[in-house]
Amino acid sequence: MSEEKTYEEKLAEFEARIQRGEKIEPGDWMPDEYRRQLIRMISQHAHSEVVGMLPEGAWIPHAPTLRRKMILIAKVQDEGGHGQYLYHAAESLGVDREELIAALLAGKAKYSNIFNYPTLTWADIGMIGWLVDGAAIKNQTMLAHSSYGPYSRAMVRICAEETFHYKQGKEMITIYAKGTPEQRQMAQDALDRWWWPALMMFGPPDSQSIHTKTLMRWKVKIKTNDQLRQEFINEIVPEFLALGLKIPDPDLHYDEETGNWVIGPIDWDEFWRVIRGNGPMNRDRLEARRRAHEEGAWVREALEAYAQRQRQASMN
Amino acid sequence: MTRDTQWPRWEVFKQDRPDRPHEAVGTVHAPDADVALLNARDVYVRRPSCYSLWVAPESAVFKMTAYELETTPNWWKEDLPEEAPEETYHIFNKQTQRRSMVAVTHVGNIQARSSREALRKAIDSGQFVEKIAYMWWVVPESAITRSNEEDVPSMFEPAEDKTYRDQSYYTGSVFARRSQRRPEDIRLS
Amino acid sequence: MNEQLQQALMDRLVAMADDEVILGHRDSEWTGHAPILEEDIAIANIAQDELGHALIWYELAEPYTGNDADSMAFFRDARQFRNVQMVELPNGDWAFTMLRQYLFDAYEMALLTRLMTSQYAPLAEAAEKIRREEIYHFRHSSIWVERLGLGTEESHARMQRALDHLWPYALQLFRPMPLDAHLVEAGFFPDPDQLQTAWQDVVLPHLKNADLTPPDAEPIYAHRHHHTEHLVDLLADMQLVARSIPKAVW
Repeated sequence: MSEEKTYEEKLAEFEARIQRGEKIEPGDWMPDEYRRQLIRMISQHAHSEVVGMLPEGAWIPHAPTLRRKMILIAKVQDEGGHGQYLYHAAESLGVDREELIAALLAGKAKYSNIFNYPTLTWADIGMIGWLVDGAAIKNQTMLAHSSYGPYSRAMVRICAEETFHYKQGKEMITIYAKGTPEQRQMAQDALDRWWWPALMMFGPPDSQSIHTKTLMRWKVKIKTNDQLRQEFINEIVPEFLALGLKIPDPDLHYDEETGNWVIGPIDWDEFWRVIRGNGPMNRDRLEARRRAHEEGAWVREALEAYAQRQRQASMN
Repeated sequence: MTRDTQWPRWEVFKQDRPDRPHEAVGTVHAPDADVALLNARDVYVRRPSCYSLWVAPESAVFKMTAYELETTPNWWKEDLPEEAPEETYHIFNKQTQRRSMVAVTHVGNIQARSSREALRKAIDSGQFVEKIAYMWWVVPESAITRSNEEDVPSMFEPAEDKTYRDQSYYTGSVFARRSQRRPEDIRLS
Repeated sequence: MNEQLQQALMDRLVAMADDEVILGHRDSEWTGHAPILEEDIAIANIAQDELGHALIWYELAEPYTGNDADSMAFFRDARQFRNVQMVELPNGDWAFTMLRQYLFDAYEMALLTRLMTSQYAPLAEAAEKIRREEIYHFRHSSIWVERLGLGTEESHARMQRALDHLWPYALQLFRPMPLDAHLVEAGFFPDPDQLQTAWQDVVLPHLKNADLTPPDAEPIYAHRHHHTEHLVDLLADMQLVARSIPKAVW
């Protein structure tokens, strides 16, 4: 066995493995920065899923048919499951769920801005499935190729399930856009409110994204925020237009040369304002999570106490 | 208030069909084995298909990557009393870098006196790897709680009736085809 | 089938469906607010199952009611629902929710086991299918009752309080409906008294093991068309969108 390798040698070996397309697994050597960035990204992603249960969960009681009610419960349940898979991926990096959740509840952890906007009509449920989950799928499909094994595996599992979310939302909006005048108006109103927040989900423009370069070098991410955003716009704009819905962007046009649908300026001030905690629903979302956590504490303690006694009894 | 608990972690191994091996699909948090098994079902069998589930405390699962085996001199060394009893150890590994939703796959059993010894025997035997194993997991039989065949109708088959959670239940493609993305190609539906 | 038997069958099917839809609705209110992520997922599963069962019972009743499942769930008022009061009560804490689920699951297990041999074949078939899921629900809620009953002082106190509150309501499950005698005679539906005995044989020992004691209280013996005001609130929530544009397809 050779002498202990230097940091540079280990780093070179690590990067060579990534270049070869190998997955990095828990237990493998990795630079501290890689671990730190992954914990940041994965835990934010996990928190987003869990907080994301709230805006849609709010409409489970109001679902207009038994079938829609079951579908929506299943979808919000999947989001809980996705949060669970992602906390698991983060835990493989040496943090535990207790500390991740504590950081969320203390307001120290971020989660996707999109969930700080309110759901105001039933059509929002369809629009979230189609538009918001559509944007999420773009990102997640990329992350399924991530160099970190547990993150990639969680993403493959999530992508397989997320297609259902997308399709049920698209089905709803397609029906409502061709439905009664009130339904049509609901669908348009939902698009008006969710369009820009959904485009912001891809993150700040590449020029302002501080992490992108490192993350791409280590193949945590494969594409930049702007690349993904543009791909998504190109794919979804024609779909909305085909339903006769209007995109709330007077500057939107098709560029023959690049083949891109080009949007007007995104209000990044709003993006940063919401990230800093001043979106319409930030306080309410965290409060709902805190309440569930605090009101559930006695339950978690009771089952732990029971399990401890059982273990002691079986040892005696 | 006392320290928060999210309960300990349990590794979950899922078998899709009787003729397929168990695969490591992820973890659940649970206070004890019985609850862990139910949680594993609710988290990992929301959709078909499943024939059997195993759960084991995460702390009981011995894991080594190929990188660790290579860079940890004498990794197999341990103080093991000669008279330590043998038991069955389940050997899992990962032999591909293809995209996947499972970490490792069950490849067989070994009689040994410890997880380390089981892994060393498994590697030495050469019978558990075709070309290369990137990751190894060893789980003692005594740490596993499993569903049984009578559980299949109540635990796993009902997922098949929830057809609405399958994307193929809905019509329409995921994204517009490339040929339909230009303004002149858009037809009002 | 004579007219009275048909009427009796319809009443029972609607009652079973109403129990399931209202309980499923209550369970689903937890989604996103449960004590731990794994239980968010578990209760959402139970809620979907209960709603799925409601759908099955409503559809079996459809030839007699002349209404499809959604019309039954979304376009009737509180006075027309035939669920027991236990399922319409607000969720309370996790102890209340788990105990209510347990008492109801035990009732359903006793009921479905007997319905599997019902002389009305569609009922027997549906019971067999639904029972598979109920076995799992019952396993889940039994495990929870035991753990919360024996867990900590606080969890035990919360469970005992929930039992004191729920027990009289639970007994309403066994109050015969006015035309039940016809169903029992035709072998369509079990005798509610026998059902109660079977239920108690399961529930009492399990509660005792969990250190929980049913109160010595008068049962709530209301007919199924009597409700608490909570059902009105629940239906206002549940029917909000469906009734906003009554002719719409959703």
